[in-house]
Amino acid sequence: MEEKIRQLTERVESSVLSCADMRTLNDLKVGVLGKSGELTAILRNIKDLPPEQKPAAGKIVNEARVKLEKIFAERGKALEEKELNEKLASEKIDITIDKNVLKGGLHPLNIVRNKIVDFFVSLGFIVADSPEIEKNYYNFEALNIPEDHPAREIQDTFFVTKDICLRSQTSTGQIRMMEKVKPPIKMISPGRVYRSDNPDATHSPMFHQIEGLVVDKNITMCDLKGILELFAKEIFGESTKIRFRPSYFPFTEPSIEVDATCSHCHGAGCRVCKGTGWIEILGAGIVNRNVLKNCSIDPDVYTGFAFGAGMDRITNIFHGITDARVPFENDVRFLKQFN
Amino acid sequence: MKLQLSWLNDFVKVDDITPQELADKLVGIGFEVEEIIYTGAEIDKVVTAKILDIKPHADADKLSVCMVDSGNEILTIVTGAKNISVGDMVPLALDGSTLPGGKKIVSSPLRGVMSYGMLCSGKELGVDESTVKGASANGILILDKNVAPGLDIREVLGLNEYIFDISLTANRPDCQSVYGMAREVGALLSRKVKAPSLKYKTVANNESVSVKISAPDLCSRYSARLIGNIKVQESPLWMRRRLKNSGLNPINNIVDITNYVLLEIGQPLHAFDTAFIDGGINVRTAKPGETITALDGNLYELKENMLVIADDKKPLAIAGVMGGEYSGINDNTKTVLLEAARFARGTVRSTSRALGLRSDSSARYEKGVDYMSIDLGRERALSLISQLKAGDIYSFVGYDGIKEPKEKVIKTSAEAICGILGIKIKASDIIKILKSLEITVEDNGSALICHIPRFREDIDNYTDLAEEVIRFYGYDHIVPTLFKLSETTFGGLNNEQKKIERYKSYLVGKGMNEIISYSFINPDFYDKLLFDKNDGVRNAIRIMNPLSEEYSVMRTQLTGSMLDVVRLNCSRKNENFRLFEIAKTYIPNTDEPNELPFENQTLSVAFVGKDEDFYDIKSVLCNMPDLANIDYKLGYSEKRFLHPGISADIIIDGNIIGSFGKVHPTVAKNFDIPENVYVGELNLEYIIDKKRSTVKYDPLPKYPGVARDIAVTVKADYLVGDMFDSVKCAAGELFESIELFDVYTGEQIEKGFKSVAFSVKLRNKEKTLTETEITDTMKAIIEVLEKDFGAKLRS
Repeated sequence: MEEKIRQLTERVESSVLSCADMRTLNDLKVGVLGKSGELTAILRNIKDLPPEQKPAAGKIVNEARVKLEKIFAERGKALEEKELNEKLASEKIDITIDKNVLKGGLHPLNIVRNKIVDFFVSLGFIVADSPEIEKNYYNFEALNIPEDHPAREIQDTFFVTKDICLRSQTSTGQIRMMEKVKPPIKMISPGRVYRSDNPDATHSPMFHQIEGLVVDKNITMCDLKGILELFAKEIFGESTKIRFRPSYFPFTEPSIEVDATCSHCHGAGCRVCKGTGWIEILGAGIVNRNVLKNCSIDPDVYTGFAFGAGMDRITNIFHGITDARVPFENDVRFLKQFN
Repeated sequence: MKLQLSWLNDFVKVDDITPQELADKLVGIGFEVEEIIYTGAEIDKVVTAKILDIKPHADADKLSVCMVDSGNEILTIVTGAKNISVGDMVPLALDGSTLPGGKKIVSSPLRGVMSYGMLCSGKELGVDESTVKGASANGILILDKNVAPGLDIREVLGLNEYIFDISLTANRPDCQSVYGMAREVGALLSRKVKAPSLKYKTVANNESVSVKISAPDLCSRYSARLIGNIKVQESPLWMRRRLKNSGLNPINNIVDITNYVLLEIGQPLHAFDTAFIDGGINVRTAKPGETITALDGNLYELKENMLVIADDKKPLAIAGVMGGEYSGINDNTKTVLLEAARFARGTVRSTSRALGLRSDSSARYEKGVDYMSIDLGRERALSLISQLKAGDIYSFVGYDGIKEPKEKVIKTSAEAICGILGIKIKASDIIKILKSLEITVEDNGSALICHIPRFREDIDNYTDLAEEVIRFYGYDHIVPTLFKLSETTFGGLNNEQKKIERYKSYLVGKGMNEIISYSFINPDFYDKLLFDKNDGVRNAIRIMNPLSEEYSVMRTQLTGSMLDVVRLNCSRKNENFRLFEIAKTYIPNTDEPNELPFENQTLSVAFVGKDEDFYDIKSVLCNMPDLANIDYKLGYSEKRFLHPGISADIIIDGNIIGSFGKVHPTVAKNFDIPENVYVGELNLEYIIDKKRSTVKYDPLPKYPGVARDIAVTVKADYLVGDMFDSVKCAAGELFESIELFDVYTGEQIEKGFKSVAFSVKLRNKEKTLTETEITDTMKAIIEVLEKDFGAKLRS
């Protein structure tokens, strides 16, 4: 009997391995281990053996059964996996096909604006809105721009009445803020500004600025450099450096222009930076004492700094947009490049 | 301004550093050199050469073959010129040379004879008679015979000047001159600045002219001198060259001197021929109807706010702008009145603008002329007149106005200056820098008493001094810090700003692209949008000085701009896109017209594409954050830019806060866009400040609900929304939700009717629904539909 079982096991084992699908395997399993299967028949015959042989025979048959069941189970698992894989393979689709879903996005100017706003908000700045149609006082006088200053000429600024204009700079937001809130102040004010320039590759009658203002005790030029250096790194990349150049604005003293190392050539000199390695990114300075006085803030107690950046310029430099008119055309082929 | 380095070198030594080096240093103190111009930049390898021999060309009647000495070799040159003789010194463009305009000269045969270069005319070298004698000759430029051969022609013709084009800031009019820049360069390089020569002799004479200022607000100081025995002639070459390099044409010695002083000292001067002065000089505003023919030959009508220099009878000059036609210098001029004055920059600017008349003098006055340069400029001019022997300087001095402005004294300290800068600079370094700028500093141990020179009208307080210090100490010394000594502040967006960002995120998620369009529009948009002539939306703020009609009114609605953007995209064959803009509309304050207008945050949307329909724009707009939680109503819109049957108004508390729908076909035609465009506009001010009350959790249902489908036919003009409201009402407390799944007209449905199929979900929150409850509710629903809408149940 032992020999018979050995032969059966061997035969079944090789049949199982050559089984190609689940159904054949199941049929085979029934033929061996089923109620009227071959092994079941052998087991049934044990009862006819002499009692002293029964335990040994039973053990042999059971061992064979366990072994065969394991073989069937293993093969079954392998076949199931194979069949599943075949099914999955047959379900393969063309993933390069697109469903026609519209993809939206913000205007690139506002993507950059948000990036700038997020940066300053993270440093404790509030975001202040102020009117775009503004009294001359806020656009000029309060900012220490005297009556005979060239910026007040009718050909530079749009006027609505003799006392009201379209703001030509977001610096108006400084005054609006300081009239309402006393130091410490940390604010930025982004928005639309207007100047009487016909649209061309480098001008637009409407563009965007972001104003920054910090007023507190002991604010210094070094703080201005600290924050603007971080800002430039945030916008143009970690390796960006900045430099200060003396300049002049009526509402700051000392006044500076801030250059950043060119984001395209990293300072080596290229077309974007006209070979200098530097690009002008904003104007800044220590808030003029007269401006603080105009807002009833004591300039002997408080100092502050302010800066104003052209967001369109920064955006255009950053994205390599060479014509200032393009962002205002709103051609969807342009807009979708930034989605 | 244009700064000639050799001129600068008259006052401060700069000829031992390269122009580039000097330019780089100037940037550090706030003078951006936009361009370094070399006057000979376009000329290369052109030398002086002596003509040794001229022979006719064997094969060409019009050509000659010359032998010339180019300094280190004898060359054969073929030329067509007729004005040369043996022994003449001429400019020779060698093989491989360059001439103005980029012209290249190479050795080449001319009718069989090799020419190793080209003899040049004055025109070919870009010079004219004003600085080079013989430059206009027909033929070759004949140079001075004493010039050696082989010299660089740029040296010989004075085309070796470096000129800086410097951009000056508005606060530094004192630097608008060679001498003004010399003071800065002297401080920059720690070099001595030589004062301009002011030497001259006066001739005793009792001629005089009375001088009076009648408009002291517009002219704070007026001075005049008389110069007799005027000899009008050409000014010397050095002066003509400097004027020419500054873009001024030399005229005669007297005019040239006034221009020269304007460039050198920064003081505009005017020379009047006294033969045309009737009586005394009166600086006054123009009389009504007064006119003047200016030096440019044009007649100008003067306004009463314009300042003139007049005699007893007539205006002689428009102050600071231009002299009168007859007051100018001519060959017969015997005696000249030389004016040096300070006119308010505002008056010169507005007069110049109003008349459309500009001059070098007006440009200078507009920037501001300081008190000190009046005397300096006048004295310098007299010294040059004396040097050029152009006339006799009489002893008469005419004067009116402020003699000398008060000296500004600023008391400060090294600590105050360093306090602003944030770095420590030694007091001795601060004093040294200030002194180099001609600021007198007294250090009394605790304070620095600074006496500001009068030409520095920009310096008012210690912050200005701090700027002077750091300009020369160097901004590189500023170390970045981050508010070491100040308070922490709470930052962030306010509620409204957060809302706007949220709306934008929502819209972007709906596949929309943001646009940014101009705030000013063409008022014809209101016509194109079919707004009624009396519609309040037409009450828009007009810009007094718009660029053009196209950008002339501040928009009170965004749809016009949006449709214009749609037009641009469609004209470029872009299709299938959704756009939005959140921007302000500007609504005039009709109650207080002198107050600022209201600026309302407004949303504009457009859906363009064959697959878009009314329900797309509706679902996007009506599910806007905030709006979705407000009790609003929809009604058919009467906005004339929308299709009357495919449009809706969003109404809150009786106010229409927004409208959307398909554009009216006439509007589509007006804007030249396809008809299947959907637009919407929503005044966000109504929803932006709506605070949603805290959401209280509603326990999820424990008992099962049931869904029942119903299909009815009703008259086509009944609204599904109204039917659903009735269903909801009829279902009462058991109502959970209702969902439309089909609206059908066509076969099997009677004409004028439609089939509406929907699913109602019922649920009892307290217990499992009984069959009776369900049946009764469904019966109630059907009854109400039958009663209110004449609905017939479809089987």
